[in-house]
Amino acid sequence: MRLIDVFPFVPLAFGIVTLFVPRGSRWVRALPIAGALAAFVIAVVFAASYFANGGSALTSSIHPWISGPWTASYSVRVDAVSSWFVLLTSFVSVPALWAAWTYADEARRRSFMFLLLAFETTLLGLFTAADLLVFYVYWDLMLIPVFLLLTGYAGTAEARRAAWAYLIYNGFGGLVLLLGVVGLVVATHTFEVVGQRFELGPATQWWLFGAFAIAFLVKTPAFPFHAWMPPTYTQSPPPLVAMISGIQSKAGLYGFIVFALPLFPDAARAWAPLMLVIALVSILYGAFAALAQRDMKTLVAYSSLSHLGLVLLALFAFDVTSLPASLLMIVSHGLISGVLFIMLGFIEERVGTRDLFAFGGLAAKAPRLQSLMLVAAMAALGLPGLSGFAGEFLILVGAWQTQPVITAISLLAIVIASVYVLRLYQAAVHGEYRGPADVRELRPREMLVVAPLLAAIFFLGIWPGWLTSRTTTPPAFTSLQALR
Amino acid sequence: MMQIAMPAIDFDVVSPLAALVATGLVILLVDLVSRRASRTVLCSIGIAGSIVSFIRLAMQFGQPATTLGGAFATDRFSWAFDAIVLIALIAALLLSLVRDAEDGASPAAYAALLVFCSAGGMIMAAATNLIVIFLGIEQLSLALYILAGTGTGRQASHEAALKYVLLGSLASGFLIYGSALLYGASGGIALADLAHAALAPSLLFVTGFMLFIVGIGFKLALAPFHVWTPDVYEGSPIAVTAFMAVAVKAATFSVLARFVYVVFGHDAQALAPLWAIAILSMIVGNVGAIAQTNLKRLLAYSSIAQAGYIVLALAGVNGPGLSTMIFYLAAYAFMNLGAFAVIALAGDGSESASGIEAYRGLFWRRPWLAVCMTVFMFSLAGIPATAGFVGKVLLLGQALAAGAWGIAMAVVLVLGTLISFYVYFKVVWAMFAPADDAAPSPAGNAIVPWIAVAGGIAGVVILGILPQLFYALVIT
Repeated sequence: MRLIDVFPFVPLAFGIVTLFVPRGSRWVRALPIAGALAAFVIAVVFAASYFANGGSALTSSIHPWISGPWTASYSVRVDAVSSWFVLLTSFVSVPALWAAWTYADEARRRSFMFLLLAFETTLLGLFTAADLLVFYVYWDLMLIPVFLLLTGYAGTAEARRAAWAYLIYNGFGGLVLLLGVVGLVVATHTFEVVGQRFELGPATQWWLFGAFAIAFLVKTPAFPFHAWMPPTYTQSPPPLVAMISGIQSKAGLYGFIVFALPLFPDAARAWAPLMLVIALVSILYGAFAALAQRDMKTLVAYSSLSHLGLVLLALFAFDVTSLPASLLMIVSHGLISGVLFIMLGFIEERVGTRDLFAFGGLAAKAPRLQSLMLVAAMAALGLPGLSGFAGEFLILVGAWQTQPVITAISLLAIVIASVYVLRLYQAAVHGEYRGPADVRELRPREMLVVAPLLAAIFFLGIWPGWLTSRTTTPPAFTSLQALR
Repeated sequence: MMQIAMPAIDFDVVSPLAALVATGLVILLVDLVSRRASRTVLCSIGIAGSIVSFIRLAMQFGQPATTLGGAFATDRFSWAFDAIVLIALIAALLLSLVRDAEDGASPAAYAALLVFCSAGGMIMAAATNLIVIFLGIEQLSLALYILAGTGTGRQASHEAALKYVLLGSLASGFLIYGSALLYGASGGIALADLAHAALAPSLLFVTGFMLFIVGIGFKLALAPFHVWTPDVYEGSPIAVTAFMAVAVKAATFSVLARFVYVVFGHDAQALAPLWAIAILSMIVGNVGAIAQTNLKRLLAYSSIAQAGYIVLALAGVNGPGLSTMIFYLAAYAFMNLGAFAVIALAGDGSESASGIEAYRGLFWRRPWLAVCMTVFMFSLAGIPATAGFVGKVLLLGQALAAGAWGIAMAVVLVLGTLISFYVYFKVVWAMFAPADDAAPSPAGNAIVPWIAVAGGIAGVVILGILPQLFYALVIT
């Protein structure tokens, strides 16, 4: 039993302890944050060790699990790709959990915190899993905490309906993935597929890639599978939506990078035209839909659709920079959407509405809120010097090499992004204030909650090479590029 | 005068069955001698006898043997199925100890019937010829017809008993008629004799097989022979429903598995109707469950769908298939017995907790009960880290490797599971509903039935997280 074996369960363990402390105790607030911090510290240790020494006994572990008609092992690791996802997860979870305890009444706070920590555990488990069955287990388990949080804690009837949209869409994706996963295992007789090459027939590959792709597109989400996203993002409490949008939406992209593309390279090439169209439609549809929203959270939700479409474009452009550019964009989007949703939570708490045009003028009432909102907004629209720009720029330059037409059309979305983000910022912050009279400035705690996220956005904006230079493209990707 | 040679009986081989029959007789005798023996005493005798039987069964494990001239076999087709029948019996007896549990006003007859019923299930699992199969099925069914009506205070229970006896007898008719035709086609009643006829099936043989499958389909509640299921499950006392859902399915699947493996031995054309009714069951069961607001009816439809899933294990008719079937049946047993135990505990054995409304906000009133029910619902839905998930992965692997029918069944299983998400999560959704609009519920005082819940949780979680512990035992 090594630390990496139990690492995903660290938040869960803190969550379980939280369930048993007396109601109303200070520990109900402190323990979850401590759990998230502990997970982050361990993640940093793993990542540092991996980038300093390469894969080692510290960063990977494998135990036999099931052997029957097929074999599966409890196999976990962090490597050049999964490190970034693990770091992002554990980093975004800290502010999310810190912001969380104001969103549940005292009677429900313990189980609320527990479910958020359980959600973090499923995400960490997903990104450390090196066995396809372990990956799938976490993939499906992710549904549970989100469903329960929307059902029992968000409080409104709309939220309880959103729980169903979330469950049915993602359950559908998960089951299609299960069909693909088991279909693959019928051919390979093992779930230990990471880093292996299997000679699969083109037809088999085509079907299996299709099954994997549908599941991953539902989770991201991308255009035809996104209907669950606006209600879920809009109705979730801010810490939950920060985690869904900041972290969970990367699970599908991670699946493409680690499983679908390396396992089925021929099928990936066959599917690429369709995937590029899906990416393009997501990019444009998300941007235009964001333009039309009055609800702040729905607006940011649609902007997510647009931005993650860019990552999809990068992945299926098969350019040499695809992987580093995608990873940078993934991390950057995680930070930006995390901070945006937490800040929108602060605003909604103050003005009592999510309607963009119902209050306005926060600049005069809460100048600190305004300045932090400004940074987050600028990052979202891709201002140079912030991480959003670095990610988008690298993706567009890379994709231009192989897919100039689609890349040129997607540039339109970058322009529209400026419009909807500025519209959000202006409507919320400028003009005459019309909200409740007793609006409060940001508390020091609230500023500290978002500060690390904003700092990371600055850091990656100024020094994107810190991330991209540590990304080595695995051999499976090189072969995709050669086949182009 | 004609001489009838009695075959020798090896009592070592039949000892688990004999222990069970003796237990039933002891229960009746104790009741006869002491008219005041309480339900607790009588059920405890039943539980003790089941445990003795279970120990004898465990001692036979790994040593296949036959007796009664080869008509009665204990082997890989019987051990695990027997064990599941015994577990269901123990659970049903435990659930009969809840305060308001119904026992037809005669606890001795009730407990003895449950025990005799299980003995019928064990005969089915061991039967290697058509006559003994029929004998076992009748022993099981006749006892159950009475047990279904032991909710004497309720009209629904009488209705259940009547429906069950009428449709069950019809099914027995199909079964015996099919057996007769199979005998005519092959010239023997042993399954091994049928195997020769199955190589080049005549019209007579195929007709006999179809009728046989209809009879089996009735007992398994496979669509389109399922119509009795929701009413009978709803009307019967909770403990009987739990037993019915698990033990009858386990025993009947052992018959079906032995029949398919011994008579066909490979994925034969003649099995196509079986695959077709599996597909139909998965659809009918899951779609039918959508609109149910009574938890016992919901679980009845669920059991129709689950029976359809289990048929997938037979796809391909090979060694891993039998292990898969046993694994899924074990998972099915734990999650269903657990769910029925929660229903019994939530209403103290009365029918008051069958409606889904009784579960609104349960998490905020009785968190432990709600969490246990959530685990059982997740397992039924096939959510990972539960037994139901591992079972489904095994079933899908079995089916996807078995040609066009197998792939079709796998796709329907996945679609059915998606529908079932709504069904099972609806229960979870109700339990986690905000507390303020929740109805008050009586505080439970029963301790013993919690053993059934705890056992169910242990089974579901261990089979879900460490399946190898169990799978290594049943792998063939």
